[in-house]
Amino acid sequence: MNGEEHLISMLVNNKPGVLSRVAGVFGRLGYNIESLCVAATTDPEISKITLVSKSNSDSTERTKKQLEKLVDVVEVTELGQIQSVQRELILIGIKLQQEHRAEIARAVDIFGCKIISMKSDYYILEVVDNKEKIETVLNYFAPLGIEEIARTGVIALQKDK
Amino acid sequence: MQKAAILEKCGFFIKIGRYKMEKTGAEIILQTLKEEGTEVIFGYPGANTLPIHDRLMESPIKHYLMRHEQAAAHAADGYARATGKVGVCLSTSGPGATNMVTGIATAYMDSTPLIALTGQVTTNLLGSDAFQETDIIGITMPITKHSFLLNDVEEVESTLKEAFELARSGRPGPVLVDMPRDVLTASCKLDSKSNNGQRSKKQHTSPKEKLEQIKQIATYLNRAERPIIIIGGGVKLGKACTQLSELIKKGRIPFVTTMMGIGSIDSSNGFNLGFIGTHGNELANSTIHHSDFILAVGTRFSDRSTSNIEEFAPLATIAQIDIDPTSIGKNIKVDLQLISDIREAITEMIPLVEKKERPEWFQRINKERELSEKRGSREGCGPAGKLISMIQDVMPEKTTAVADVGLNQIWTVRSWQPKTPRGLITCGGMGTMGFSVPAAIGAKIGVQNQEVVAFSGDGGFYMNIQELATISYYNLPVKIVVFNNGNLGMIRQLQDLFYGARFNACELGNKVDMVMVAKGFGIDAGRVSVNDPESGIEKMRKTDGPYLLEVMVDPDTYVFPLIPPGLSNIEMIYRRSD
Ligand SMILES: Cc1ncc(C[n+]2csc(CCOP(=O)(O)OP(=O)(O)O)c2C)c(N)n1
Repeated sequence: MNGEEHLISMLVNNKPGVLSRVAGVFGRLGYNIESLCVAATTDPEISKITLVSKSNSDSTERTKKQLEKLVDVVEVTELGQIQSVQRELILIGIKLQQEHRAEIARAVDIFGCKIISMKSDYYILEVVDNKEKIETVLNYFAPLGIEEIARTGVIALQKDK
Repeated sequence: MQKAAILEKCGFFIKIGRYKMEKTGAEIILQTLKEEGTEVIFGYPGANTLPIHDRLMESPIKHYLMRHEQAAAHAADGYARATGKVGVCLSTSGPGATNMVTGIATAYMDSTPLIALTGQVTTNLLGSDAFQETDIIGITMPITKHSFLLNDVEEVESTLKEAFELARSGRPGPVLVDMPRDVLTASCKLDSKSNNGQRSKKQHTSPKEKLEQIKQIATYLNRAERPIIIIGGGVKLGKACTQLSELIKKGRIPFVTTMMGIGSIDSSNGFNLGFIGTHGNELANSTIHHSDFILAVGTRFSDRSTSNIEEFAPLATIAQIDIDPTSIGKNIKVDLQLISDIREAITEMIPLVEKKERPEWFQRINKERELSEKRGSREGCGPAGKLISMIQDVMPEKTTAVADVGLNQIWTVRSWQPKTPRGLITCGGMGTMGFSVPAAIGAKIGVQNQEVVAFSGDGGFYMNIQELATISYYNLPVKIVVFNNGNLGMIRQLQDLFYGARFNACELGNKVDMVMVAKGFGIDAGRVSVNDPESGIEKMRKTDGPYLLEVMVDPDTYVFPLIPPGLSNIEMIYRRSD
């Protein structure tokens, strides 16, 4: 799917079926959801969905309208790069080869990663940052042999409210 | 107790001792329906809805047994469109529920307030691929305003009330309530638990802001030299016809409608230029094109109305009023917008609109009217259109016409002049063949003191032909006019115009004797040629009960003018050779 990434933040009722209705809107329009985070807010009846999808701006408008139509969607906001802070958490599992030990230690230091598990020859690193930084870290570690990754997808907050 | 439990399992209800104070889910549903004003249900039973059908025997609500669940939904839809009330249809789980899908989608596209009740397997079987289990909520998600699964008998009343509220509030639409059988048979005290969710949204414009927007739109309207109003189906739904009519008369503003908006305002008051779009009136389309200000009320600017959106009304500033915020600017970018109940908005706008004569604008429109008549745009519905007018002439003024889909729909909506806002019923958004006969059943039941005539093509007629059985069983005096051209006429026209007359998959043939078919269903019927219909019309008029009039039409009778796909609203073609 062509187009830019759009970051959409939604408040929805914390009820069964809501997520599939939301996801259904994207499926219906043929847009892939690049990442999706959902959890309850301070109000247990309301959940926040943060979603990244690729489309052109016109169709994002249309998508937003379709989302707003859903009875359980309370609010839809599109968050731009400038007006929001964005974070993603990623876990990287790396098979340790002795010759890389020093390099990994240095990278952990530079990138501010955390080593959260270290078995004899297997590390798990944790990185929390924006998407760009996470891509940089991933690119750096790729040649060192990443075994597995898990990422949460982006969460975001508007800078001023 | 043990016996009670066994009986309850079998769907029986015990009304003794301590059960007395309690009601079953089925009883709560029927009581709530009654409280919400439901008088009729269009339905079809199955094992999973029997708890309701059983209790219906004691309810004042009348159940009409249709012959197909699709027809039940269309009938509830037709009932709602004819009366302005919420239509209710009921099917069992699985195949019954899936059969209703087309009817629900049809109601969704035209914003009909509808409650679709579907039976469901017991909650402990959900997800087990049980006999007749279907995820109807999943299937209908994109075609309902909302849907509910009744999980617990304690939630039945509040959920149903909320369903009604949703169906008729804001932009109306269908709401589905899926009812597991054990919830229907379980019992509880009425009103025991409320279903609290935050379903109201925070998109309301403040009254002050609203007034500012209304003032602004009125200013533009007053200033405009070539203003026009587009009336969509939302005007009827918002019960704003009288108010809008007043505004039009005061400002002397010509108006066009969308197909769904036809009839909103008395058609013969001189300001009405017809309906816009692919099959619309030439005058309406050209006037929109030349206007400098458009006030669009209760329309979403469907692609059928605008044709090529790039070229739609290139000179106009556009203002849009709609109750549904998601309809504003969805298809066409607008310059001014107002999210509001239409009746409120127009009422507030009337005193702000200046009395103006607009002689130049009307002169120009009248000239265009003459030109388009010369080009033959009025004859576009040919003898079929004439026949429809003849029928209207002999029927009482308040007769409701129900159109199907195809050439016959265009003939009907262009030839029938509705005298009341609900005098013409047609499915605009979905274009569902087979709509007219079941919708006419619903309409007739809704407005029993009025005549109802369904117009259909042979193709659409075959799609719900089984409903003739419903009509004759209940002896519903519905009149049905079938234009028999032996073809899927509109498909034939498209193939003729745009596929080099390579006809394929459009011939239905002439082997069916429709008059005999109707009589076989117990309905009196007659056949006429479209060119010589008087005797048939008279017989139909004189028949007290239902009547089917088969009208033989030449398959080359098409509809003109029309806008070919992708072209703008002023690029209409008038004949085969254009
Ligand atoms: C359920 C359904 N299937 C297919 C179509 C596509 N379609 C639109 S018009 C038409 C032909 C209608 O033929 P008929 O009912 O005979 O009416 P006529 O055009 O001849 O008046 C078809 C097949 C449709 N609108 N609805």
